Amino acid sequence: MDRNQIKKWFKSPAKMGHKYSLHAIYFCTGCGIIEIPPSITARWDAERFGVIPVATPRQANLFLITGYVSTKTLKAIIRTYEQMPEPKFTVGFGSCPINGGMYWDSYNTIKKLDKYIPVDGWIAGCMPRPEAVFVAVTHLWTLIDKDMANGYIKYREKYKYYRANQEKVFGTLDWPPLFS
Amino acid sequence: MRELELYFGPQHLGMVGNFSITLKVEGDRIKKADANPGYLHRGFEKLMEYRTWMQNFPLVCRINVVEPDHIELIYSMGVEKLAGIDVPLRGKFIRSIYCELARVGSHLFGLWAYSNMLGFDTVAQWAMYHRDLVLDLFEELTGARVYHIYIRPGGVRRDFPQGFEDKIISTLHSIGGKVPDYNATFFENRLFEKRAKGVGTLTRENAVKWGAVGHAMRATGMKYDIRKIEPYAAYDQVEWEVPTRNEGDAYSRLLAIRDEMIESVHMIFKLIDKMPKKGAVYTKTPNPFQWKIPAGEAYVRCESSRGELGLYIVSDGGDKPYRVHFRTPSYSHGLTILEKVLEGESIADVGNIMISLYVVAPEIDR
Amino acid sequence: MKTLKKKIESSFDNINITVTDNNMDISIDKNGIVTLLSFLKNMGYEHLALISCVDLPDEKLLEIVYILSAYMENDKKFTEKEARNIIVKTRIPRDKANFVTVIDIFENAEPYERELHELFGIHFQGHPRLTPLFLELEYKIPPFRKDFDTRKFVKQFFENIPAVE
Repeated sequence: MDRNQIKKWFKSPAKMGHKYSLHAIYFCTGCGIIEIPPSITARWDAERFGVIPVATPRQANLFLITGYVSTKTLKAIIRTYEQMPEPKFTVGFGSCPINGGMYWDSYNTIKKLDKYIPVDGWIAGCMPRPEAVFVAVTHLWTLIDKDMANGYIKYREKYKYYRANQEKVFGTLDWPPLFS
Repeated sequence: MRELELYFGPQHLGMVGNFSITLKVEGDRIKKADANPGYLHRGFEKLMEYRTWMQNFPLVCRINVVEPDHIELIYSMGVEKLAGIDVPLRGKFIRSIYCELARVGSHLFGLWAYSNMLGFDTVAQWAMYHRDLVLDLFEELTGARVYHIYIRPGGVRRDFPQGFEDKIISTLHSIGGKVPDYNATFFENRLFEKRAKGVGTLTRENAVKWGAVGHAMRATGMKYDIRKIEPYAAYDQVEWEVPTRNEGDAYSRLLAIRDEMIESVHMIFKLIDKMPKKGAVYTKTPNPFQWKIPAGEAYVRCESSRGELGLYIVSDGGDKPYRVHFRTPSYSHGLTILEKVLEGESIADVGNIMISLYVVAPEIDR
Repeated sequence: MKTLKKKIESSFDNINITVTDNNMDISIDKNGIVTLLSFLKNMGYEHLALISCVDLPDEKLLEIVYILSAYMENDKKFTEKEARNIIVKTRIPRDKANFVTVIDIFENAEPYERELHELFGIHFQGHPRLTPLFLELEYKIPPFRKDFDTRKFVKQFFENIPAVE
């Protein structure tokens, strides 16, 4: 640890605790799941960055959406995201959540994930290598230091716009609004 | 006792892939299971009608994410049958070596998933590490780790680099030297026998009635392998055997997978010995922007690491396909067989049975 | 192969058979499908590989395709000259697409018919559950027919949703 780190630990220990133990939820949403097992096993070890997979959304604070999102998966993603406790961070993995990617003309995939849940960062590639996941985690640390990774605050403030977009896709939703 | 409805849903620690099953349980025993696919449906067969024959290759290899190589092969075989193109001999040998390496990598991924679900973390870490060594070989040959677009109608894209055969042999020796360790730790372990013997039994008559293919059929004692029935590429130029087992439960299916992996490694050595040293690797095809294929239809099939993979392709004389339909092996395993085999088993064995049948979710939905 | 072709032609009428190197193509009228499939299953072709459908909008017909093959164990039952794959085709009208199910003959036909009902709009009489398999939203035209334009649908539906600032 260099000297700057010790000063940061005294100033805000909670933020340093959030950074160095990002627990990712175990949900294989799409194509990109093929490069996550190499990142969490012995060759490219993710535990030295503090990232390990956990079983339920109530114990997680990082949500990695790996690959394209179809309409049926979007319902599961919204319910999982709303169950995670705050502060929580979302990272879009691959080129498909950015603007549709290779399936831009498909009738069953949603094109931009940004319109339905807030996203803090994107990783480009098809598929990105395991090293790209670690570069993204270190960028997320810098954003958390500068207080710029505030997707969850935006969800709380602009909830009625997000909910209106979700209802445009599905009609009426089965669950009541999270923030009234 | 009361009946309860549980969702073994997409976000679950025992589920590999985006798939969900609705279970009706009484106590710990399952009364009825309903598979619920559709989380990964993109409408591939509709998207392929809007792109030309060569533009479809980057799209088609994303149907099965664990092993994209056999799907490139089956689409190339369909186009070659419609257009009447032949493959030179060295190209056929290279296609066989490439597909057998893909089979070894895919079985190691399945071993990671299975041992992770049972709780044997040691063997999971070894299997993932050895799969990475095989992916290093693919990266040197084609430039990408996961989606390598290497097979084209008429052969393969380009020849092996210099000294590549020696690299294949040394990588396979280093993986093969660990097989006694795998046997002693996992396959001959008493705990694995207790958890997998007698679980998810599939008898021979039921397997024929419900449409089982691949290693699930070979574990009931029938020697059913498309590489022997309708040989394609260079499989009729070397001698090899089809390994079978007899009981039909999850234990025999895992042992059939291990025997198949060892047989593939021996086959690669024999193919490298017998391959012609020089020759063309592809035949030329017309300009891809203006290539029109004569009208007709074809049905071709091959043996992927999960079972029999087939393709029904129709052309109307234009530069885009008219109708394409893939017959994937996980379709009958995941939708018909899984629902019937799960009746009477306990909840803790759902993941056990699902991965021993090798159900890969993107293949079902396409 | 000639013996198999003669046997089928002598038992059925309204039938058209062509043979191309190890595969056999059969076209038959839609009323004779169930008897023909049971006949082929008794001859040893027990594996139903695929049920597919092709849309022909100019002739206002839908063509349903059944593909059968055999589990040849050590090549004991079959000689080299028998057919490996049999493709059976029949045509039904496009406007009111109704057909009969083959689950009594082949038990693994159930998910194939459910998928065709959802994506092409064909109704199979006698099927135990014709509920949606893959799709979540509802579409006015079944998505795999030729008059459904997917690029126009994407433009109308997904690009009208506004981004959140």
